Amino acid sequence: MTRLIKIYLVSLKNSFAARMAYRGDFFLCCVLILVSEMLVPLLTMLIYSTGASFPGWNLAEVMVLQGVFMLARGTANLLFFGIVYNTLSHVREGTYDLFMIKPVSVLFISIASGFEPDSIGTIAGGLLVTAVSAGQLQPPDGADILRFLLIFAFSLLILFSFAVLMSATVFKWVGNSRIYEIFDSITSFGNYPLTIFGRTFRIIISYIIPVSVIAFYPASALLGKDISGFVPAIPVCVLFLILSLGVWKLMLSKYTSAGG
Amino acid sequence: MDIIRIRDLKKVYKTYERGSTFLDTVKSLFVRKCIEIEALKGITLSVGQGEILGFLGPNGAGKSTTLKILTGVLFPTSGEADVMGYTPWRHRKSYVSHIGAVFGQKSQLIWDIPPLDSFEMNKAIYGISDKNYKDRLDSMTEMLGLQNIIRKPTRQLSLGERMKCEFIMAMLHDPGIVFLDEPTIGLDVVAKEKIRDFIREQNKRGVTFILTTHDMGDIEKLAKRVVVINSGELVFDGGMDALRKFSGVKKRVHLAVKKELPPFESDPGVQLISRTSPTVAELELDMARIELNTFIRDINEKYIISDMTMSDPPIESVIRELYTQKSTP
Repeated sequence: MTRLIKIYLVSLKNSFAARMAYRGDFFLCCVLILVSEMLVPLLTMLIYSTGASFPGWNLAEVMVLQGVFMLARGTANLLFFGIVYNTLSHVREGTYDLFMIKPVSVLFISIASGFEPDSIGTIAGGLLVTAVSAGQLQPPDGADILRFLLIFAFSLLILFSFAVLMSATVFKWVGNSRIYEIFDSITSFGNYPLTIFGRTFRIIISYIIPVSVIAFYPASALLGKDISGFVPAIPVCVLFLILSLGVWKLMLSKYTSAGG
Repeated sequence: MDIIRIRDLKKVYKTYERGSTFLDTVKSLFVRKCIEIEALKGITLSVGQGEILGFLGPNGAGKSTTLKILTGVLFPTSGEADVMGYTPWRHRKSYVSHIGAVFGQKSQLIWDIPPLDSFEMNKAIYGISDKNYKDRLDSMTEMLGLQNIIRKPTRQLSLGERMKCEFIMAMLHDPGIVFLDEPTIGLDVVAKEKIRDFIREQNKRGVTFILTTHDMGDIEKLAKRVVVINSGELVFDGGMDALRKFSGVKKRVHLAVKKELPPFESDPGVQLISRTSPTVAELELDMARIELNTFIRDINEKYIISDMTMSDPPIESVIRELYTQKSTP
């Protein structure tokens, strides 16, 4: 374990050093990512400014939800979502071989070398939106914050499972760069309160593809709202993780490398 | 003692075939013809500890596939391999800590930061102690003349400097076997020599090298034994001397005479290789079919020799002959 932490830290340091080689591009990327991530909260503000609203949620509460969504996405992108692009590009170029000749888990080395410093912009944006919006509401108590942190860990678990599943597919469907768009489309439902969807769809995004765990439940916990629906989602999250790791292992065994 | 034992190693993979016309491209969106490629057709081979084995073959012969199976990257379709007591594709994680690999066309270095940072990454990955890391890094950078290089960003290094750094990446953890896939590709003669010296030095310390290359200079200067595969089959396995004599004992003759030379089209045992002028030519003599003294006497009588040098045929001509063969004789 100590060795894995060391590898991760060295990898993190190298990723930062490599990104700082182009500082201007780094800062620009952070700002552009932040601006694009802010589009959904801005759209929500526009909707509320017309007098419309999401049932059971006021503007500040929805902004907390969307801030948490940004925070989760930013953290995932920073820590492990790089595995998708890493796998995509290395498999296509045949350089994934270089991960496989290292005496550590291939999944781990793919994650460790895919650290994405640009996502700091999204995290900063998420923190800002959450903090400013939460500041307009009754402050959460210690129990709410604890519940939030616990569910937020599950949120990262779901995003991790998505990342692993997506990177697994590119072993077989090499060069599948549209995979990000598929992911964005599926997870975009996590940007909104569950109350706006029909019952069947709520079940689907809570207990089949648990997108609602990304932001809805953590934000609900932070806001002191009812989170009883989260409990049945826990085994689904665990199953989703097991499934993604299984698929990843299967797909890795199908890796064919590129011509030598 | 054998460090690598491979028995009847086969690899079949599927790929898709389509034509190059626009219609073929459109058609391939809906229907693709799946074809099976036999990359390896049953390779059996063993390598002794401390050997430098030249592993040759034309493009697409199966060299890289063999190397990828032996480095644990690919699963074979069937067959067995024992490398240092491990089956590479079954015990990948524990096995690869004992091997190193340099892929001439795939870099392990991180492009935008100095090689030293990439070395630090390998130090963490292989769990190398601070002392061993420092000792090995110092000794290898000195041997390769890289002391002032490893702190510059990789993208600013020359190809030769980068390749030398790739060797350090591959060997920091003191592997017992190092697989080299075209390690001198694109390098100038000075860089090639430096790398060959480095390989020889490491080999003296007991490191086994499996060297895949198209550069016959690498093979002649490093390998004592050569294995040639073609179309997934072994076509030659032997020493450099046996390789040179593979197509019989032959001699190259560079000849300058005073009268115009004939085209040598029907002379038994004599093949015209090149002609630089009507009176200067390079010939290849098959010593099994022609006596050297008879040839010299005849040429001198008819054309009057003004200058003549003799040498062994270049190894490339033997290799070319092997590459056109189908299977083991």
